[in-house]
Formats: sequence, structure tokens, C-alpha cells
Amino acid sequence: MATTHNVTMSATPRDAGRRGAGEARAQEPAIEVNGLTKRYGAFEALRGVDLAVPRGALFGLVGPNGAGKSTLIKALVGALRPSGGGVRVLGLDPLRERAAVRRQLGYMPQSPALYEDLSARDNVAFFGGAHGVPDLRRRVEEVLAFTDLAARAGDGVATFSGGMKRRVSLAAALIHRPPVLFLDEPTAAVDPALRARFWDLFRSLAASGVTLFISTHLMDEALLCDRIAILRRGRIIAADTPRGLLERGRTRLTVRRGGVDEARTIGGRPEDLAAALHPYGLAREIGAVAVEAESLETVILGLIGEE
Amino acid sequence: MNRTLRVARRVLQQLLRDRRLLGLSIVAPLAIVYLLKLFFDTMPPGFNVARYAVPVAAFLVHFLAFLLCAIVLVQERTGGTLERQFINGFRRHEIIGGYLLGYLGLATLQAVAALAEVVLLFGLDYGARTLLALFAVVWALAIASVMLGIFVSTFARRESQVFPFIPLIILPSVFLSGLLFPFIPLIILPSVFLSGLLIDSDRLPAWAELLGRLLPLRYANTVIQELIRPGGALGNVWGSLAALGAYSLVLLLLASRTLPETE
Repeated sequence: MATTHNVTMSATPRDAGRRGAGEARAQEPAIEVNGLTKRYGAFEALRGVDLAVPRGALFGLVGPNGAGKSTLIKALVGALRPSGGGVRVLGLDPLRERAAVRRQLGYMPQSPALYEDLSARDNVAFFGGAHGVPDLRRRVEEVLAFTDLAARAGDGVATFSGGMKRRVSLAAALIHRPPVLFLDEPTAAVDPALRARFWDLFRSLAASGVTLFISTHLMDEALLCDRIAILRRGRIIAADTPRGLLERGRTRLTVRRGGVDEARTIGGRPEDLAAALHPYGLAREIGAVAVEAESLETVILGLIGEE
Repeated sequence: MNRTLRVARRVLQQLLRDRRLLGLSIVAPLAIVYLLKLFFDTMPPGFNVARYAVPVAAFLVHFLAFLLCAIVLVQERTGGTLERQFINGFRRHEIIGGYLLGYLGLATLQAVAALAEVVLLFGLDYGARTLLALFAVVWALAIASVMLGIFVSTFARRESQVFPFIPLIILPSVFLSGLLFPFIPLIILPSVFLSGLLIDSDRLPAWAELLGRLLPLRYANTVIQELIRPGGALGNVWGSLAALGAYSLVLLLLASRTLPETE
């Protein structure tokens, strides 16, 4: 496992970064969900979900456990028959156009879903074989190197740690170079260093044009996405860029003047902060001030890295 | 390589890596056949050992092929690998075909080992042609057993749910196919041998005889009894052999409908 992390888990919204390239193709969404419902008997797991994910986006589906994240992802990958509504992936119906869709999507389920008796290499090769990946052997080694598994590729998965199994699972999802990737809580129960490495990989995939649909219940991860949808009890309650969502929040501002703290609550936009600081002498031509502090996790990871 | 063969190769890779399971599924039938020999040695002179030796070997292959296949497939469902195969483009018939091919490898090994042991231990002097025919029928029974395992696995959500099917399928097999024999080899075996009751299917009441026709072991046993009967000929029991084949085919069709590709 690499010990350097050029990805921080800090609260840095990345909605500004890769916008330009994807703008033209963004007309046609990679993933579309319309009025999707799923009932299990009397229980409604999804209650009318609408979503659109542009091509090449790093999309985060955020929500507490039991919100319906896995159910939604299963409907998108064609593992689940919706009770109502529809989904499209790259314009295709995952159930009716099964063969065409499955070549285009990679899926990393929440559980490792691997053959414990087999080696990492055999697992990845088996799933790659389903897609008829050309030059499979070389591709298997390539993807195992990408997920930092080359050194243990021949070992049985049963001997692996939880984090290593997740990397094998990711490698198996990437083997056929799918343009759309669905990752169901890929970093759940993974230590912070590996989480940072995972997001490193996700970013490099997104940079190469892959659309990523990632579910998580970790809010700091959501900040690393281009767009976020918040799922709660089977409904999308908000969908926006991370910055857009942050701006809906409030900022607690405390200014110490002459030894006296003056505290007030202002809006979450950079413009709100500038306006609040103008009375304290901030030059009038400064229209916006943004402060982005590192998260505690980033600070701790930095300290571990220095050791 | 075709996807069915890929599934078969993966199933075999798993079996070969799991030495304990592999050892147990070969050694257990051998140990049971040996216990059977000890049991038969206590019978009064004139007891027709041959009547039971090969059918028991066939039963053991039937039971183990069924149970292993059902349990491993249910593990695939609970572990998420079944779903993952479907999402990666494997189809139902490819998975079923792959399992059939993979487990036939194991069942062939079991059939050869168990048959060889009964022939040697009991000093059965069947001709080469009879032996070959016996092997063929045990092998056909193994196919039916694997299909039965796949079919049953589609109704079980957890490994433990396979077990109720053991009395449901295996126990009637024992009673209604003309045999009364062990169903959980290592545990129930002694008690079954002690109560050792053996019934010919034509001595059963009509309803029980009909019920027996639902079980593959019944057809295999009919063929085996004819083959080991002095002057017996395969030609007399083609119907039963064909029924065994048809049984596998029907289960294949059923399983390919019941194995769910989506939730």
C-alpha cells in the first residue's frame, strides 16, 4: 500500500475542477432514474426516486444505513426488478438490454462477493472472463497493480484482510474497463489511509472519463464528489453540488474585538462571509471569502505520514 | 473460452483448493463402504451381499453430489457471488451448465472410487462390460443428483435451509427406491445399519411405489439390480435408464426457470 497521499479527505468541494471537459457530453446523462419505486411486501424501500448523473461525473449517493442506497444501486445494475418507474444507464434499460448494459458497467457490491478459496488473480480473471476481455492475463495483472495487489495476487482471498478484499472486489469491478462504475459503500469499514488511497483511485478513474456512482454514509467523502444526492427513507431529499449544499448551511462567525467576542450566525456562501466582515474593515472590493479547514482525519493522517 | 466452461473451471478450482472438502467427499464414501462390509460380514451365510453393495455405492455418490452442489450454490447466493456473476453477464444456463460440468468431475471421481472399493472389498466378479454399465448408471445418477442440488438450492436462502431437503428427498429415496440406507453418512450411519431394513419397491403399497418414481435413485437402483442379476441385460431396463436421463433434463429445465437472476 502506498504511504503517500496526494488526496486529502478535507472539505474541499471539487465541483470546480473537471467541469469543462464534461460539459458538452453532459447533455445526455450517463444515469437516469425516473419515479423509481421498489416494494418488498408492505415495505417501500424506494419511494419515487428521480436522478440524473452526467457522463464523467463523480456522483455521491449519501444517506444513513437503511435509506435504500443499495436497493437503488441494485436497480441500476439490473439486479433488481423495480416495482415502478424506470432506470437507464447510458441510455439503456438494465433489464431489457441486459447484455449491452453489462458490458458497460462495473459493480462493486457492499459485501466483498468473492470466492474465498480462489486467489485474487483467479477471482479477477473469472469475472473478466465473463466479459471476454481481450488479452485477459495482462489486463488482470494491470488492474491488480492499479489496486496495489500485485504482491499478493496469487494468495487465497480467505487469507486477506477486509481492506484487501475490498481492493480485490474493486479490481474485479474494473477488469473490463467499464465506462460507468457503481460502488456500493466501497470504503465502509476501511481504515483512513486506505480510504484516502481509494479516493485517489476514484479520482484518477473520473479523470479518465469514467462515470462513478458511489454510495456512502460518510459526509466527508461526499464532499469529494462532483454532485451529491441525499437519500432518506427511499426518497431523494436534496441533490446538488457539495458547495451548493454547504451554501444552504449556516456559518457561526466569532470576531474578537478589544478582547470581546462578538458572535453571530451568517449564511454559508462566501459572499455572506465577506459581507459580515465589511463592518470590521474588510475592503469593499472583496466580494467573497471562503475558508476551508482541513478535517480532523486529514490532520491525523498527516501526522501518521510524518512518523 | 465459453462462459459455461469458465464457470466449470472456477468450480473445479474451488474444489481443488478446498482440500478438506475434497478429501471428505472421497474418503467418506470409502469409509462407509468399509463399514458396510463389516456389517455384511456378520450376516448369516447365504445372504445376498451383491444385492446391496453396488446400490449403496450409488446412493453415496447420489447423496454427496446432491448435498455438496446444493450447499455450495446456496453459499454463492448468500455471499453475493451469484448476483455478481449475473451482473457480469453470466446467464442462468451458463451457471447451471458450469456447475454440472464441475461437479461431474467430482462425482466421476467418487463413482470410480466407491465402485472400485465395493468390487474389491466384496469380491464381486462382474465382467468388464457389466462394470462399465454400472459405472455409467452411477454416473447418470450423479448428473441427476447435481441437477437436484441446483434445483433445491433455488429454494434455500441459507445453507441451513438445505438440510430440511435432506429428509424430504434423500430419506424417501432410501425407503422408496428399494433401499433403506444412510442419509447423513457419518452420523446416522450406525443406527441405520443396526435397523437395516431393505425393501424391494414392488413390495411397497401402490402410492409409495408411485412416490418412489419421483426419485432418481429408484431408476438407478432398478438398472443396477438388473445389471448384477445373473443373466441380466441392460436391454431389459432401458426404460429406467431413459427415465434417469429424462429426470436430469426435466430438473435442468426447472432449475433454469427457478434460479432467479433478479430480486
